[in-house]
Amino acid sequence: MSKRPDLFTSYQKEISIFPNNTQKFWFVTLLLSSIYICFIASDYWIILITNALLVSIAAWGLNIVSGLAGQINLAHGVFVGIGTYTSAVLGGVATRSVIGFEMDLLIWLPLSGIVAALIGVLISPIAVRLKGLNLGLVTLAFVFIGSHFFSNLTFITGGSGLGRKSAKLNILGIDFNSGYEIGNFLIQKNQILYLISLLVTVLLGLGVKNLVRSKTGRAFAAIRDRDIAAEALGINLFKYKATALAISCFYGGVAGALLTTTFGGVEPGTFNLLYSILFIAIVIIGGAGTVLGPLFGAFFYVLFPAIIQYVVLSSNLSEQDLLITPQQIERIIFGLFIILFLIFEPRGLWGIWFRLRNYFKAWPFSY
Amino acid sequence: MNIFLQATFEGLSLGAVYSLVAIGFVLIFRATDVLSFAQPAMVVVGAGIISYFSTQIGIPFIVAFFLGIILTGVLGLILERTFLRPMVGEPVFSVAVLTIGIDILLRVVLDNWIGINPKYMGDPFPSYGNFGSFNMAGLTVKYLEVTALITALMLIFVLSVFFKKSKYGVAMRATSLDQEAALAQGINVGRVFGLVWFIAGLLAAFAGFFITGGFNTLTNTSFISALRALPAVVIGGLDSITGAVVGSLIIGLTQAYVGYYQFDIESAYNIKLGNGFSIVAPYVIMFVILIVKPDGLFGTEEVERV
Repeated sequence: MSKRPDLFTSYQKEISIFPNNTQKFWFVTLLLSSIYICFIASDYWIILITNALLVSIAAWGLNIVSGLAGQINLAHGVFVGIGTYTSAVLGGVATRSVIGFEMDLLIWLPLSGIVAALIGVLISPIAVRLKGLNLGLVTLAFVFIGSHFFSNLTFITGGSGLGRKSAKLNILGIDFNSGYEIGNFLIQKNQILYLISLLVTVLLGLGVKNLVRSKTGRAFAAIRDRDIAAEALGINLFKYKATALAISCFYGGVAGALLTTTFGGVEPGTFNLLYSILFIAIVIIGGAGTVLGPLFGAFFYVLFPAIIQYVVLSSNLSEQDLLITPQQIERIIFGLFIILFLIFEPRGLWGIWFRLRNYFKAWPFSY
Repeated sequence: MNIFLQATFEGLSLGAVYSLVAIGFVLIFRATDVLSFAQPAMVVVGAGIISYFSTQIGIPFIVAFFLGIILTGVLGLILERTFLRPMVGEPVFSVAVLTIGIDILLRVVLDNWIGINPKYMGDPFPSYGNFGSFNMAGLTVKYLEVTALITALMLIFVLSVFFKKSKYGVAMRATSLDQEAALAQGINVGRVFGLVWFIAGLLAAFAGFFITGGFNTLTNTSFISALRALPAVVIGGLDSITGAVVGSLIIGLTQAYVGYYQFDIESAYNIKLGNGFSIVAPYVIMFVILIVKPDGLFGTEEVERV
């Protein structure tokens, strides 16, 4: 490890993905340990962590359009839904009520991202024309129109209240739906999904990091800070806003495709307003406009209910004794956390982590 | 023709109720530059408080009604003081998201209280006439709708007089023009902020009653109807009270016409709009209008400087 990690001798070094060896070391350690977790942890934890990883992909998507490019998007959940249904149609099994083509994961996973991105591009002319609060309100309209489509296109979604099964897990023609045997070692479906999610998360996470340091990322930041000034500097607002929306939708679509595959099925009512707001909460709690923030936020969102559930179970209270259910406690705490983080720590969990890190960098000297 | 008149009347009444919520939005937006996503939750809170006092505590409806309205106003005041005041000067996006947080909080508490069974308001309207409605020139008119229309018109009139004549009304208009200049003129801007949220709360509670009164009842989905004031505001323009009223009427009429004519349209053009299209129709209208006029019908065009 270098002795002066903050000393950069060239711009190339400063913007590199891992500016110093410490970060490389932690990245590799975390990656290896998360692969190792897959083989020692119980199913419960594997599913939980898979969820957290996938939610963080979706949150990264929202973070690109809202945190980096500064465009309010209240409809991210709808794009997650579009990805979900693309995957369910392409990879799912056809029944009497719904269509399905039973394709390979290598086909439906990228396609669910691309279809979501295409729909994002389709609506981008509307989104680009508006800005600020009006944009937020129009995206609110997307939520309602989107859920209307979801609940009425029954041949795709199975209709509200009924839902449909998600995509099957076939990779390169090999059926992983009931686990896969290598020699006498059996890999469960959950473990495979976990590994796929981990791979996709790492790839897309590095993608965000890469995007931030590229020309496009700088253009996003300029648009966020002052779009008129950005335009005066020669940034094509239309192009970059549409790009931001498309990339964001791609992330949402990919996340949605894998998310429902872990659950096994999906009901169109899932993609309501609250679902979209959830991602906003995750981005705010994690830290808007940062690369690691959404990851923190997603893990917080997924692990927090598990902790509440654990506390409720271990405190020997039956559900009737409590005034409110664990889900409601969850939602109350989410509402409170949105408010408190915005007032006291706008940089979210990432901000707290940043300050802790800087404190211990020079420990025990405060400066 | 009768169906048309019936739909028009219901639409107007609905629109008048939405306009109360919409005016609340616009007031808050103009004075404090905050787009309050918590406003629909306030509507439901108002209805909830009225229902609680009149059906569970059992005080006379009219007392419960005014108590509920005042308390909702006070809630608005408290919310502004505790959550919104620290955010003065922050980016509009952050503040808007913060109001979403408030909205979640209010709705969780309320959803928990409402539960599965719909709550009645305890109002006398269903007992009037023939199940709360009477016949007029072949139309079925609900007493609740008539009252809603009249009350809304009266409130709009009172508000416009308040803004023109009263000391605080003028102070509010000054604040919405320029906060710092108003401060320099000796206007207590903080108090104006509080007052705006108070009035918005009052209006929300009025609307809350008319949305959930009679046989409509208060359920977990009442919130969705209250949310329809949002497209109304956007159609009219975020900063125009006239726009809010016009936008609300457009939304109300759209909803009523779609509700009555959806089947005819579907069979005439052989298309399928889907169940519950009347809920989505306002948002589609909002879409179309925003594509043509991004600032809404009556909104002032934003002049931007670098």
